[in-house]
Amino acid sequence: MSGTGVIEGGWEFVVAAYAVSAIILIGYAVSINIRYRAERARRKREAERAAEGIA
Amino acid sequence: MADAKAPPVERGAPAIAYALAGLGALLLLWGSYWGLMLAPKEAYMGDVQRIMYIHVPTAWNAMLALTFAFGCALAFLLRGDWKWDARLEAAMEVGVTLSLLLCMQGSIWAKPTWGVWWDWDPRLTTTAVMVFAFSGILALRRFVDDPVKRAVWSSVAAIVAYVDVPIVYFSVKWWNSLHQMQSTPQTVSSAFHWPLRINAFGILFLMFGLISLRARLATLRLQSELGPPSPKPVAQYVPAGATGDTR
Repeated sequence: MSGTGVIEGGWEFVVAAYAVSAIILIGYAVSINIRYRAERARRKREAERAAEGIA
Repeated sequence: MADAKAPPVERGAPAIAYALAGLGALLLLWGSYWGLMLAPKEAYMGDVQRIMYIHVPTAWNAMLALTFAFGCALAFLLRGDWKWDARLEAAMEVGVTLSLLLCMQGSIWAKPTWGVWWDWDPRLTTTAVMVFAFSGILALRRFVDDPVKRAVWSSVAAIVAYVDVPIVYFSVKWWNSLHQMQSTPQTVSSAFHWPLRINAFGILFLMFGLISLRARLATLRLQSELGPPSPKPVAQYVPAGATGDTR
């Protein structure tokens, strides 16, 4: 900070804030997608097994 | 109300959820490019102020997600429809994720402007309480196996925890806070409006896309717990005062 009270520089903080945001948002979106697809696959297997049991 | 207590059904394709999330991501890229490259420096905070273009929209949408969770909790308790329990779980998880991100962004902004990474001022403290309260409810959901108890307890807990959300919002007005007051179009120069608004809509669309997809995941899990093809009997939650109460 200069003697005028104006903050100088600080791009490293800006980059860090946007990088953290990107990592968390992308990471969370990917995690939901992976969990959703895994659950769908599990549910499908369960339904197939149930159908085989009935047949 | 007749089919309100039936196990939830995953309707339609998840294409709308993916489209919302994709649109949100595109808007976020555009708004962030504008905020980082095109918007002017702020007079006192300089370039550090550019963090606001992502921090403020994250804060708005975190509170919106938790407000939606509050609405879902109320709807579940009043109607007993499992889809509201799935939505509650989704909205709380997305709200907590955005709130944690909000704290990290705020901390990174606080260091060059306040000189500290964290301070126990009213806004930050109430935000921390909000994050811990809703994280605790998500933890509670993982430890309760009975879907009816899990849904009722977490709905009640979400309503209680939500009391803190308006306190977070008004904390800067009610107490002498280090955190700045809410900005309004009258207090923000027009040069800063567009990146802020674009990112706000970006996170909004992304948030609803993620809530929608996460609710589908919760619905699939509820289907396994509540209905066929699982051999378990169908569990029911019947709201107090509902007709046909067989308990």
